[in-house]
Amino acid sequence: MKPRDWAALGARLIVGATLVYAGTAKLAVAPEEFANVIVSYGLVGPDLALPLAGLLPWVEVAVGWALAAGFLGRAAAGAAAAMYAMFLFALGHALAFGIPLPNCGCFGDSVHLSPAHAMLFDSLSAALCALVWRLGSGALSLDGWAERGA
Amino acid sequence: MKTRFSRRLFGAALVALLTAACAFLARREKKPFSVSAPDFRTRGPVGAPVLIVEFSDFQCPACRAAEPVLQRLFPVYQDKIRFVFKDFPLPMHHWARAGALAAECAGRQGKFWPYHDILYDRQDAWTNDKAATFLAGYARELKLDEPEWNACLADPTTASAVDADARDAQNAWVRATPTFFVNGRRFVGARELAELAPLFIDQELKK
Repeated sequence: MKPRDWAALGARLIVGATLVYAGTAKLAVAPEEFANVIVSYGLVGPDLALPLAGLLPWVEVAVGWALAAGFLGRAAAGAAAAMYAMFLFALGHALAFGIPLPNCGCFGDSVHLSPAHAMLFDSLSAALCALVWRLGSGALSLDGWAERGA
Repeated sequence: MKTRFSRRLFGAALVALLTAACAFLARREKKPFSVSAPDFRTRGPVGAPVLIVEFSDFQCPACRAAEPVLQRLFPVYQDKIRFVFKDFPLPMHHWARAGALAAECAGRQGKFWPYHDILYDRQDAWTNDKAATFLAGYARELKLDEPEWNACLADPTTASAVDADARDAQNAWVRATPTFFVNGRRFVGARELAELAPLFIDQELKK
């Protein structure tokens, strides 16, 4: 294994674990609660926020596990990057329009990050996604295992 | 080729299984809505099957309007409800924080609920430049120990208690008062409390 494979593994595990934790924390609260957080960002109304609140945590957990396990690594990294881009847009919109958010709401009831800290965190996570996209799934991945079966 | 496909299929199944396991564990381990409040701001037995937490503001007319609704719920459900009052004085209400501090200090002398009732009943009277005079008058009316009450108002721990409640409100994404959490389910305003909360309470009691 080359160093780049281990770098890809590290990036996958960090982003994957973060997404699994964030999604699970949101799944632990009622979707109405997360919908309330989404509405606070001022981008979507309650009608759209509730289905989004029901769906997004599942996507986060599934993409997180796919990254951690190295399953369709590049596609999972792309999906995670798209989610982080969406989070960054929402946070940027809230900061630009002075919408007062007590915290980012990224981790349900558990960890409370300020919107500015959340933007930094999401930017770093998006950069790690780009690294996985560039390097592929790397070491200890289901992708590698499947390829060896070809 | 066949092996690769079956390994991909195994990968997909593994990811789906782990995702479902996370959802199952998250919902199974669902934390009860946790609140901290001094005993004098609570009513009903500890361990009652239904916990109602109110985030309220003494200057807010909607909070005053919710009071009769709450008062109707208590006799209906009696010892099946535990109620916790938490302060969330909104910045736009200039006198709300003074009211919250005054009620907190009345509570430390065992008179939180009578003081709370006076603040809502006479909301129109004290919410002005003379708030301090009115609030002191209510303390006298309830025969509170005035020097102790005044010392309590100046005590930084009193302000800290109100600030802690406000932080709890923000962390729970409370954006309007009154907001009620009934076993963790959010109800905003008197109307939702009157029309939707009893149905939810009945459901919770059937569990």
